[in-house]
Amino acid sequence: MSTTTLPTERAAEPARRRPRIAERLLMSEYLVLALTVLYVLILWPIVPSIATRATMLDVLAAMMPLLVVAIGQTFVLIVAGIDLSAPSILATASVVGASMMTDDGGFALASGIPILAGIVAFVAVGLLIGLFNGLCTTRLGMPAFIVTLTTMMFFSGFALFYTAALTDDGSSFGDLPASFVAIGQGTVAGVPYSLGVAAVVMGVAHLVLSRTVFGRWLYAIGRNPRAAAISGVPVRRAVTWAFVISGLCAAIASVLYTGRLETGTPVLGQRILLDIVGSAVIGGVSLFGGTGKVTQTLYGVLFLSVVDKGLQLLGLDLASVFAIKGLVILLAAVLDALRRRLILRA
Amino acid sequence: MIARGVPGNRTTLFLLQNTPVLLFIVLIVGFGMMSPRFLSLVNFVNIVVQAAHIGIIAIGMTFVLLVGGIDLSVGANMYVVAAVLGLFLQDLPLSVSFPLVIAIGVSFGWVNSWFITRLRVPAFIVTLSTLFVGRGLALYFSGNKMVGFSPSVLSLGRASYLGVPSAIWAFAIVFVVAWLTLSQTTFGRQVYAVGADPEASAKAGIDVRRILVAVYCIAGGCAAIGGLVSLSQVAVASSTFGFQKEFPVIAATVLGGTSLFGGRGGVLGTVFGAVLIQTVENGLVMTNADPYLYPLVISAIIFIAVLVDSSRSAILERLERRQIRVERG
Repeated sequence: MSTTTLPTERAAEPARRRPRIAERLLMSEYLVLALTVLYVLILWPIVPSIATRATMLDVLAAMMPLLVVAIGQTFVLIVAGIDLSAPSILATASVVGASMMTDDGGFALASGIPILAGIVAFVAVGLLIGLFNGLCTTRLGMPAFIVTLTTMMFFSGFALFYTAALTDDGSSFGDLPASFVAIGQGTVAGVPYSLGVAAVVMGVAHLVLSRTVFGRWLYAIGRNPRAAAISGVPVRRAVTWAFVISGLCAAIASVLYTGRLETGTPVLGQRILLDIVGSAVIGGVSLFGGTGKVTQTLYGVLFLSVVDKGLQLLGLDLASVFAIKGLVILLAAVLDALRRRLILRA
Repeated sequence: MIARGVPGNRTTLFLLQNTPVLLFIVLIVGFGMMSPRFLSLVNFVNIVVQAAHIGIIAIGMTFVLLVGGIDLSVGANMYVVAAVLGLFLQDLPLSVSFPLVIAIGVSFGWVNSWFITRLRVPAFIVTLSTLFVGRGLALYFSGNKMVGFSPSVLSLGRASYLGVPSAIWAFAIVFVVAWLTLSQTTFGRQVYAVGADPEASAKAGIDVRRILVAVYCIAGGCAAIGGLVSLSQVAVASSTFGFQKEFPVIAATVLGGTSLFGGRGGVLGTVFGAVLIQTVENGLVMTNADPYLYPLVISAIIFIAVLVDSSRSAILERLERRQIRVERG
């Protein structure tokens, strides 16, 4: 905690002792970005297709939903919490939202505005689960890890149950309206809608964290909740909001994913929990709270997505992808630990 | 400590402190009324046999949570053990191959601890990465195919000694050793001390790094033993063997009253937690509940147990908060 609050000393440092380039790069916020570029450069001679426009657009479009969830997760990580329930929110929102718009269920078909009703359902699911997580954490004093672990188990189960109860084949909601699918797949002048949605989410999140009192509260709570409470920060309310924002972001990501896949499915996002938390942390968001920026999460998501795409282009099997991804996360974490030690020494 | 902190109302505190046990009794009575078969001794033995592998791994997890750490890699560790045993050590006698794979499990834990203590990377991230690396390596060895085991492994899984199934023996031995270690040895005291306050422990002369290395090795060893118990029951290990097992394991540990923040808890509660989760699942099977409802009911029960458990800390926290307000006003 004390290592991150010394901007003035850090600025004064080069005058005292000029750090070597390696050290300066290690201290930089753009380290992960540099690693991403390095990775692409290494792979370029082996798989030239990694540096093409088509691949880049593909990576960009594919990473948008992950980016949106990870931004929500950033808010929770800043207050030293964790939201393990994000994947289950993706799944539950996906099936509940889809059930509004398709013949299976079809709760909102008669309303005349099924797509709007569907999107409202997505968002409502996210907000409610987020609110539940937040209230349990702040009002009942339960650890965020356990609250969100149980909501994760509950709502993954619920999504399966809901799907089995409402659909004929019991596995997914197909035949989503074309105009809904367009949200996930459509493009304007070659730029996917999802990119626009993610950009808006990112912009708003960045402004909220860096320019508002609420953002300051979140950082203060993450550094020292008791000190924040004494200084008059409404700790419980702010932490609850962080979880609600995480739920909302997961719901928006669910709209994008569901549109991309053209089906509402209860297994949506089942395997991305570790990607969500991992990418935020790789970017430099601390698990212990108090630090983290939206841009860092962006770099983390970009890095993981590019690594994934590269391994895919290399034609590696699942096993190697798993192992390399793990090593890459570990490498990023080790670099982060080294950086912290350097800052401490400086 | 808590009884002194909150004066009066000892009954409520007793109820709060023994939540897992009480929930357990309520569930047994409830399921027993719904299904007479549930209350038989055979069924109870069955429950403990099925809970054994989660329970054993959760006992190792208890050590890690007691020092305020976490180990997400236990499921991957199980799969590594299964793959190595099934692919490379088939021909060795079990008296050689089992200790060997347990040693592999321990070294898996040691690798985790090396990154955590030497490079000071948060345990969450280290074990998250070793989860991927471990599973990836094992999948590479197994070629993503089913791994089979020699008949001797399977007959060990079905064997009984003195009328008690081998899985329960393993569970009992691991529990007794862990319980004695935590409650009767200096090392056990030091584990609690490090969890309660690492800085103060270091000042008091405890080698914190050594304790941390030890608990991750214990967790790795327990994951290997749990993996062996599980694979001797299921006969083959598919590529999803042990996948996401870390969640029920952590749930069982926390359900047993061990705090995620270190310093509080114990292995007896963990055994209860693991058996409790399995009891619910078994009871749901016995009462012919819709299988889709299992995760809903189980997670709701874990939630209630943790809710009641943490309301103790909430009471204490409220007391502290009042003191803060007095200073302000």
